[in-house]
Amino acid sequence: MLVAWRYRKRKNSFIQSFDPRAWIIFYACFLFATLSFWDVRFLLPFFVIAIFTLITSGVKWHEMRRAFLFIVGFVFFFAFLTFLTGRGGSEVYKEEHLIWEFKGSFSILSWTPVLKVTVERAFFAISQLVRVTSIAVMTILIPYSLNPALYGITFKGIGLPDKFAYAMDLTMRFIPTFGRDFQLTMDAQRARGYELDKISGGLIQQVRKLGPVIVPVTIHAIIGSEDIIDAMDLRAFGVGARTWTDVLAYQFRDRLLIAFGVVILLVSIVVGFMGYGAFWVPEVLAKIFS
Amino acid sequence: MTSPVKPLVVDNLSFRYRDRQGAAIHNISFEAKPGEILLIAGASGCGKTTMIRAINGLIPRSYKGEMGGQILVFGEEVKNWKLSQISQKIGTVLQDPERQILGTKVLNEIAFGLENLAMPRDEIFTRVDEALNFLKISHLRDRETFNLSGGEKQKVALAGVLAMRPSILLLDEPLASLDPASAQDTLDAVRALANQGMTILLVEHRVEDVLRIHPERVMFMSEGEIRYLGDVQGLSKVVNYREVKLPEEQIVTRAKREPAPVQIKILPGVTNSQSEKAALVKFQDVAFGYDAEREVLHGINLEINRGDVIAVLGPNGAGKTTFVKHAIGLLKPKSGNVFVNGRDTREASVAEIAGMLGYVFQSPSHMLFAPTVREELAFGPTNLRHPKEQIEQEVKEALKIVNLSDNENDPPLALSFGQQKRVSIAAILAMRSKILVMDEPTAGQDYQNYMNFMDSILQMPVFEAILFITHDVDLAVIYANRVLMVNDGRLVADGTPQDVLRDFDRLKANRLVPTSLLALNLKRLSATGRFMRAEALAHV
Repeated sequence: MLVAWRYRKRKNSFIQSFDPRAWIIFYACFLFATLSFWDVRFLLPFFVIAIFTLITSGVKWHEMRRAFLFIVGFVFFFAFLTFLTGRGGSEVYKEEHLIWEFKGSFSILSWTPVLKVTVERAFFAISQLVRVTSIAVMTILIPYSLNPALYGITFKGIGLPDKFAYAMDLTMRFIPTFGRDFQLTMDAQRARGYELDKISGGLIQQVRKLGPVIVPVTIHAIIGSEDIIDAMDLRAFGVGARTWTDVLAYQFRDRLLIAFGVVILLVSIVVGFMGYGAFWVPEVLAKIFS
Repeated sequence: MTSPVKPLVVDNLSFRYRDRQGAAIHNISFEAKPGEILLIAGASGCGKTTMIRAINGLIPRSYKGEMGGQILVFGEEVKNWKLSQISQKIGTVLQDPERQILGTKVLNEIAFGLENLAMPRDEIFTRVDEALNFLKISHLRDRETFNLSGGEKQKVALAGVLAMRPSILLLDEPLASLDPASAQDTLDAVRALANQGMTILLVEHRVEDVLRIHPERVMFMSEGEIRYLGDVQGLSKVVNYREVKLPEEQIVTRAKREPAPVQIKILPGVTNSQSEKAALVKFQDVAFGYDAEREVLHGINLEINRGDVIAVLGPNGAGKTTFVKHAIGLLKPKSGNVFVNGRDTREASVAEIAGMLGYVFQSPSHMLFAPTVREELAFGPTNLRHPKEQIEQEVKEALKIVNLSDNENDPPLALSFGQQKRVSIAAILAMRSKILVMDEPTAGQDYQNYMNFMDSILQMPVFEAILFITHDVDLAVIYANRVLMVNDGRLVADGTPQDVLRDFDRLKANRLVPTSLLALNLKRLSATGRFMRAEALAHV
């Protein structure tokens, strides 16, 4: 199955010991607080929180291996690419201190490849890695830890309207169905000799060649959505305020977690306004390579 | 004394969809009594679903158009009612429970309508438990809906409607995706509801199955009108037995008065030469699991030979589709081997196997994508790198065989469901596949359409073997010369239909229900020597 929910109730899971609303609020605070820093010294506490959450989540390595390796691999790849090209970081630093330079002994159309390793590029790559990995780890853990049956009441509980909150529930319900339809279409086209991994050509050409998968999946989703809308209408959805059978209740520890998240966010904002937390390289390294 | 108010009165109802020409239904008038099951039959497109949508209020609220006549529920016209008011009187179960189930958990799903009516939580739980108990599915209360079987999903969808305590229940082809035993369970529940006083309108192609629960009346619709409304006995006198699947004794009685049917020649292209005796497909100790923890196929051994027309029977979730996906290499065995034309599927790509074995999925909408039928058909051979001129020839021939030559420039998705099915077969024919594998070939089609469809497929000269997955025992009786029964990932029976289907205990153990055609064939087997369709039995 292409999409299957990874959630299950886990023993001694730190995330699962909290009300899902409290965790979502904490997660949002964590996210915005992390995004307000580029200084690796300020980012390290967030990284520690993320690693602590990961270790205490109760999620087994074999369960999350594929998702984890994919996302962290993706983060490494882009951090490395930024390190090699120097693009991206130029917005947060003005000057660079060269550590080592490689100049190609050949030219392509009168362009000679040059690779510069500078203190700033190295520290930008490290900061980017720590920053995005912290957020990625906290995000990956959500589908493994929060009960999809409670998404609706969770979002209702943090103040969203009934219709929007139920839309979250409905999305969670139909993602596996959509995944199954996608897999069926893939199988049906493979049975006609279609090989997705052998698609070649330019970007537009590649997108066009995805038509045999995208068109049936979209058409099927549209046809299916008519039934879904009928089913909702026929059971009086959206006629007014609704009851939610699931009930969530805050405990003391949940309030503590929310307070902790809010404090982190406020402190981050204040620290940012005070001019701290911007991109940083150790002065000693800058001096050595100046 | 005044007569009691009728639960449902439909008076001269008509409707035309806004974007279509001509009325979908017209002159529809009838009444329904408390405790009555009214079976509604008719070919696809005859207006059954439109009538159901008008009664449950989706027309004209969600589907716009011109509506005439009136609908009275307990004496009140529903025209100005809100949908939420109607839904408390009239419950509707749609054809595909997968799309109707909105909750992630069974409990949330059944509570959905009651939550929307803002009922107190205690009342909701009382009603949910009441519905679960009535349908004897309390054990499912905390299960995830996505992982339920087809039969369980249908019951959960029904429970969600029953929890709203409607007085009238509309069921739109509720048996379409169920194995025979699950269908029977659902029908028993429907009968029990009617016995408690509920008025039930049941739209269903599987007329014979519904007749087992003795519906009080039958309505037969054609071209948007009621052609027959009356007791069950009268139905067989007015409708063509080729349009509606009637009990076989009735068909035999009618068919005796007609000339004997021409016997169809199955797989006319198959020869019996010595050089072609090797197995087309061979399964050798095949075992498979989607994950390391659970094996879903265990030790499958079999051969598919030239001339085989194989029906694969078994309950929902038995592993039938997993089994046939191994034949085309979409799945590779965890242990054992599958050989297609002597080649191990582990060493061949799906594309390479597709030239030999074509797989038609249940729903054509899962594969159709091209702007024209011609391009749709050219897709497979192009992927297989056939030369351009050859592809043109293959497409032309395939179109001719499925009788769609006039539609080659039409968009496949604009064709009728039956025509789309034929396009999906033609797509396989164009690849010059020798073995045809079909998953539920009759699903979503009415009786007459699917019998015509099967007749034409079986008579195509290009196939050397055909294998189809089905829940319909009669399809196996009429068309197959070999039956495979799969249950719990094991091949539990493999033989001629006469040998495999005669054992009613085995059928029961595999959630199959003997049909009247099977019973009649077994009764006359000593005279006929083989199974045949009812029209042919009438002349033996």
